[in-house]
Amino acid sequence: MIFSWLHVAIILFLGAGVLFAGVPLLASLLLAPKCKDEELLLPYECGLRPYGTSWVRFGINYYFYALLFLAFDVDVLYLYPVAVYYPFSEGFLPLIEIFLFVFILGLAVIYFFKKGVFSWPRRIKV
Amino acid sequence: MIDLSTIPSPLVQIVIGLIGVLAFVGLNGLVCVYLERKVAGHIQRRPGPFEVGPHGILQPLADAVKLVAKQMITPKGADPILYWAAPLISFAPAIACFLPLPFGPKLQNVSINVGLILILAFSSLNVLALCLAGWSSQNKWSLLGAARDIAQSVAYEIPLLLSLLPIILLTGSLNLAEITQTQGPWPWQWLVVKQPLAFIIFFVCVFAETNRAPFDLPEAESELTAGFHTEYSGMGFGLFFLAEYSYMVVGCALASILFLGGYQGPVASGWWWFLLKVYALLLVMMWVRWTYPRVRFDQLLNLAWKWFIPLSLLNILITALVVKL
Repeated sequence: MIFSWLHVAIILFLGAGVLFAGVPLLASLLLAPKCKDEELLLPYECGLRPYGTSWVRFGINYYFYALLFLAFDVDVLYLYPVAVYYPFSEGFLPLIEIFLFVFILGLAVIYFFKKGVFSWPRRIKV
Repeated sequence: MIDLSTIPSPLVQIVIGLIGVLAFVGLNGLVCVYLERKVAGHIQRRPGPFEVGPHGILQPLADAVKLVAKQMITPKGADPILYWAAPLISFAPAIACFLPLPFGPKLQNVSINVGLILILAFSSLNVLALCLAGWSSQNKWSLLGAARDIAQSVAYEIPLLLSLLPIILLTGSLNLAEITQTQGPWPWQWLVVKQPLAFIIFFVCVFAETNRAPFDLPEAESELTAGFHTEYSGMGFGLFFLAEYSYMVVGCALASILFLGGYQGPVASGWWWFLLKVYALLLVMMWVRWTYPRVRFDQLLNLAWKWFIPLSLLNILITALVVKL
């Protein structure tokens, strides 16, 4: 059975966070006025009646950024355990390995730079 | 202040720490609202809130009462469960972020050897909450605000992570108390002297992650009304604000622990030095808000990808080299 006080603490803190946020909401339910009106419940759209639904497809211009993020974030997480052990390691081999890893990460940025992902207005060369 | 390490049962220790953190978060919300309005006022050459109490000191309480007494509206066609879950999801991880922070030499809730990772993991849950809030409120402004927020948080998450790596390379620890102890009480012994570039990148990323001006594009009031929280009234809006202030404090606390020596100070080390550093950084954040105009979205993304990521990668390489030499 895996048990640690850290897990208890995290669960307690998250639960307390929900409670701490929930109590003012409940107090608001009790104290606040409850008007009911058709117009009151309309989503705000600069005073006009909303045109259509907002749940539509729209072109996300930032798709490439999301891809880049996925590639980077996973790799950076690998660097964390390496960095923790690094000051206690011996020899120059770890240094060379870190250099290789970061160099390849840097190549990704250069690649997307050349592709034109970072230039606006967007001109991505396929 | 109680010496937390003398309490025998871990459960009692955790609960006492939890009560302390909740009190701190609540008080911090009140102090930050007051400070923000006063700083904004004085920078614009007006006194700020002045009517409620001496020098308007009771204004945040009046604001809180007003927010509780406002009607909570769920817009027509919105997804009510997600809509009301979003403020809770935004706020709850903020409390968990306080778990590994060492407030003083013996004032740490739980000593965790992965404290830094824990804070990074929980603070990035905020993006999910803002995404849910924007999507579920059936409002076009909210949806655009949420899309912007995701792109922005995702872009600044990486330099944030990368700028912390040199610190770990130098100290070889993820435990925030140990990182504090590797630094001395005097300013020239702090890690900011060895890592000025990492400090600047980290602090700018904190601005972007907490959606503070000049990076407040997800809630840009001149373009998107109020961005992702356009539809939230009363306490829903209040909770988003409280969460934002809590994340600001977590970010400034991390900056002062990792770079500015944490609770250690030249005269008498203790939690007062920690709070002094945190609130000094918070004041800088408020000062910046009224100094710089909002950036454009392509400038925001390109700053992260073209400058901060290459620079922080270089910083890692140089640090790794220096550690080995």
